[in-house]
Amino acid sequence: MSLPDRPITILIAALGGEGGGVMADWLIDAAARCDFPSQSTSIPGVAQRTGATTYYLEIFPATRAQLGGRSPVFSLTPSPGNVDIMVASELIEAGRAMHNGYVSPERTTLVASTHRIYATVEKMQMADGRFESNRVIDAGKQLARRAVLFDMRKLAQDSGTVINAVLFGAMAGSGVLPVSREACEQAIRGGGRGAEASLRGFAAGCEIAAGSRPTPQPPAPPKRAEELDEVVRLGIERLTDYQGAAYADLFKERIKSFEKLEPKVAAEAARQLALWMSYEDIIRVADLKTRASRFERVRKEVGAKDGEPVVVIDFLKPGLEEFASLLPHALGKNLQSWAESRGKLDAYNVGLHVKTSGVFGFLLVRSLAWLRPWRPFSYRYQEEQRLIERWLLRVNEAAQRSPALALEVAQCATLLKGYGETHRRGKANFLAILDALVENPPTADPAAQAGAIRRAREAALADPEGKALGGALGKPVTWLKQVGRT
Amino acid sequence: MERSFKQEVELLKLGEGETFHGEGILAVTKALLQSGVAYVGGYQGAPVSHVMDVLNDARDILDELGVHVETNASEAGAAAMLGASINYPIRGAVAFKSTVGTNVASDALSNLASAGVIGGALVVLGEDYGEGSSIIQERSHAFAMKSQMWLLDPRPNLPKIVEMVEKGFELSEASNTPVLLELRIRACHVHGSFATKKNVGSKNSKNHPIEKPDFDFGRISLPPATYAQEKHKIEVRWPAAVAFIRQHKLNEVFAGDMSDTGILCQGGMYNAVLRALQLLGLADAFGATRVPIYCMNVAYPMIAEEIVAFCAGKQRILVVEEGQPAFIEDAVQAALRRAENHLVKVHGKDMLPLGGEYTGEVVLAGISKFLNSETAIDSVRSLKARALELLGGVPARPPGFCVGCPERPVFAAMKVAEKATGAFHISADIGCHTFATLPPFNIGHTVLGYGLGMASNSAVNTMFGKRTLTIMGDGGFWHNGLTSGIANTVFNKDDGILVIMKNGYSSATGTQELPSSPQHSEFKSGDMGIERALEGVGVGWVKTVDNYRVGEVAKVLKEAMSTEYQGLKVIIAEGECQLERQRKLRPVVAKNLAEGKRTVRVKYGVDEDTCTGDHSCIRLSGCPTLTVKDNPDPLRRDPVATVIDGCVGCGLCGENAHAAILCPSFYRAEVVQNPNFFDKALNRIRAVFA
Repeated sequence: MSLPDRPITILIAALGGEGGGVMADWLIDAAARCDFPSQSTSIPGVAQRTGATTYYLEIFPATRAQLGGRSPVFSLTPSPGNVDIMVASELIEAGRAMHNGYVSPERTTLVASTHRIYATVEKMQMADGRFESNRVIDAGKQLARRAVLFDMRKLAQDSGTVINAVLFGAMAGSGVLPVSREACEQAIRGGGRGAEASLRGFAAGCEIAAGSRPTPQPPAPPKRAEELDEVVRLGIERLTDYQGAAYADLFKERIKSFEKLEPKVAAEAARQLALWMSYEDIIRVADLKTRASRFERVRKEVGAKDGEPVVVIDFLKPGLEEFASLLPHALGKNLQSWAESRGKLDAYNVGLHVKTSGVFGFLLVRSLAWLRPWRPFSYRYQEEQRLIERWLLRVNEAAQRSPALALEVAQCATLLKGYGETHRRGKANFLAILDALVENPPTADPAAQAGAIRRAREAALADPEGKALGGALGKPVTWLKQVGRT
Repeated sequence: MERSFKQEVELLKLGEGETFHGEGILAVTKALLQSGVAYVGGYQGAPVSHVMDVLNDARDILDELGVHVETNASEAGAAAMLGASINYPIRGAVAFKSTVGTNVASDALSNLASAGVIGGALVVLGEDYGEGSSIIQERSHAFAMKSQMWLLDPRPNLPKIVEMVEKGFELSEASNTPVLLELRIRACHVHGSFATKKNVGSKNSKNHPIEKPDFDFGRISLPPATYAQEKHKIEVRWPAAVAFIRQHKLNEVFAGDMSDTGILCQGGMYNAVLRALQLLGLADAFGATRVPIYCMNVAYPMIAEEIVAFCAGKQRILVVEEGQPAFIEDAVQAALRRAENHLVKVHGKDMLPLGGEYTGEVVLAGISKFLNSETAIDSVRSLKARALELLGGVPARPPGFCVGCPERPVFAAMKVAEKATGAFHISADIGCHTFATLPPFNIGHTVLGYGLGMASNSAVNTMFGKRTLTIMGDGGFWHNGLTSGIANTVFNKDDGILVIMKNGYSSATGTQELPSSPQHSEFKSGDMGIERALEGVGVGWVKTVDNYRVGEVAKVLKEAMSTEYQGLKVIIAEGECQLERQRKLRPVVAKNLAEGKRTVRVKYGVDEDTCTGDHSCIRLSGCPTLTVKDNPDPLRRDPVATVIDGCVGCGLCGENAHAAILCPSFYRAEVVQNPNFFDKALNRIRAVFA
């Protein structure tokens, strides 16, 4: 018979600690069981510590008997356009492989899990820094000869095994692996520990790739309120829950002015308003932390089984600012400005480990939630309402000039989030933009003004030190906390 | 140790005519035993850590063969150990990574190479170059040239690698010269097979003692002996090596019918060259090539006669030499010129990139250019362009701290302290802690070498109005940091702050034991505390902190920055390497659970309804299990923080929330598994309220 003219090449992209090495061993073992020459290599190095890493294998699909003593020369590195099976244990790693040219329409079967493990640079951003998954999935479908894409991590969890077994199965099921399913299963059995669970994961992956089992559907995208009606409905619900019907009526009153706006702008402004009006103060946090639904959610998140008690300890560190926010307006204002001028805002925080699931801890936190009727008299409430009115006025003014400008002004409220210093920073950025670009704009052209606001808002979310925002506003502003006296 | 090598040890026991299936670096280890070494040593570091790891697990068979195994203090110590082969006909080998290890070792290597050896001396170098490398990008070739040691660079398949180890010892003895064997990352990790021989015991070894010491002033590195040694290198050792290499055909010629061209490559580049020719339709899968190849399994010395003979009658040749400067290409040019061959045109770095790893792709591009068939790679180029267009840039994923790593909280504390003190200069060191230079921390201004953090701080520290900081790991401390940094800072009465990351192991290289490890194998001495060493050299200000108490660590850092105490201030940041800790904990927990014992599992979490999606917590952590998920609130857009499975409950999230006054969203959940009566009763009372 004529011998194949080249080996089957397999590149596995994985993250450190995911069992990529074990999968490479299975493949080599399965090839050996078929008496095919093979070679694997890897570049673990420091990548073993949570970084991206690759394993590269070549299998020559002819038995040693057929080869009659000849041995193939294997390559140690993959070469773009010449990979038969590209395996990725995570979606961005599949994207990286495509980037490097390892997925080609002539040759490559792409086997990748669609779940995401976010890279540090994605998750550390102040807003949403996540890479768009669909871009990778679409590219995979376009660039690969065949793409086997589904959430293999979930399937692995459901089968009580790890992802490498499912990936290995999907590889075998795709039909391009030169070794038989039996040889693969024997290789897994030969690996010993956890073989039964691995075989379950292998079978599931194999059948899905072969089409004999339906591909798991991707989860539904998260629910997002986009239309004005829905935003208003959710806003009313939220604010009733937050402070009662009267407060929800105030929301309804405020959004009346939005009726004149374009629907998209109105919906966005109403959404921002609802979020702002339900600002997170100590009363709100205490309320949310002591709801029965919260304890149920915690049990689910930590995977507690029925009958296993779960002790929940909360990390609270209230300080002067939180205290001042609860005081009557004049008192709170005085205390706050005293603390600000002395740089003492964070000086007297008390770190508490509160066992909220215990009787005393629960009562302690719940008692703060009971302060809800007091809220409208508090310093923070009045400050927030004052600023909300100012912002509403600017949104409505802008709407008269251009819908795009109004949308930008409305979206500035997105900067107001978080607690303590994070909140102070966001508020300072918000006020700086409001002052420099909304109330005292450097340009009379609405389009240019809208662009400037958008850039400044994005800059405010670019780095917590405010370096980018300083540049966007054209002045050397930084809102670093005052250096303490040591 | 990170991995157990009990299975691999079995491979070392294989006898005559059996088949070894395994990793390249283990094949080298087996080859050492087949070559009859009397002693082995080394210093851990990718990609050759496994040599020492597997030998440490193979004490029984080594004892039987009389092989001495030494865990050397550093690469310098390892190279100096080869001094045993200067006076006595015993073979020895050491392994370390290059070029950082070779840098550290070069004092001893120079002296060794000058004195010359009677017994074969082999240095296995893990050439940590290109993708997956963790160090500065340089090549080992220069070390071979400057000290006149022979550099082997075998074709990366197991039989050839093993053969070159065996021949390496013979070459070393035939030319009285230490030999370096260079293996690239992928070659170290390549899985393949070879037919084994039986292990051989050394004539002299710890089982067969040497009877009397041999004194020969000619082997001492002191003039006038050194003058004679240099002469001996040139007049005797070099010609002897050339003769041996030619006679035993260590370099290989693969003939081809396109006789007017040729490719010269380092042995390590051979497979990439052949694959490129195969893709261009000029070679088959089994190595039959149309373009003649001269494969240099000995990269140094270059055998001028062989080069001249190979080039005879050729129009053009291509030198495929990874790394820079292009020592081989230049030497080839010179050799041809001296032989008065003016006909052949020598290509190399004009077709291939000057620096960087020669991957299959790079070599294919270079060879296709050399053979005027560049259209062959057009499809690859358009493939990449297409992917770029479809995807844009994808986020990078560099290595980082493991889940629950005890070093992460120290850097979080530095960020917290910096808010109070203002930014300060930080001299970093080598170890897992170097990952702090990456996002989210971006901590550390300079890295000057292993254990050299403190030494690298000595001048810059005096250039600031306020104090600066130095970081050193316990690995670096024992490698040389104690002497080059700490003792010297005390000696010079310098005012510095040193944070020693005491995690108990040489973690970055695979959690090998250190003198100060919390527990030791039976082959090592008991605890040699860092604290006692510091006291011994007279450090007067030492504070030990529990890494996970971020607020406390920040407080001690601030104290060190502001104290009136003049002189070295050392903060020992204690926390056991979480990889090792979990490895020990997991079986204990599994056993307790199986036995029905009460066990508390800790996991941290984030309340999704109070998290506002600013991610300050992530910027202070970077823990793989602290990540983001879609906001469940239909009115919100930014993703919320979440703690996923894999959290080991180290507590950093909660500590950070307190120390940096972040937000109230974090909680600690203690799941009581196998609850007792008391737990259940308490739970019922709680249920009434919550």
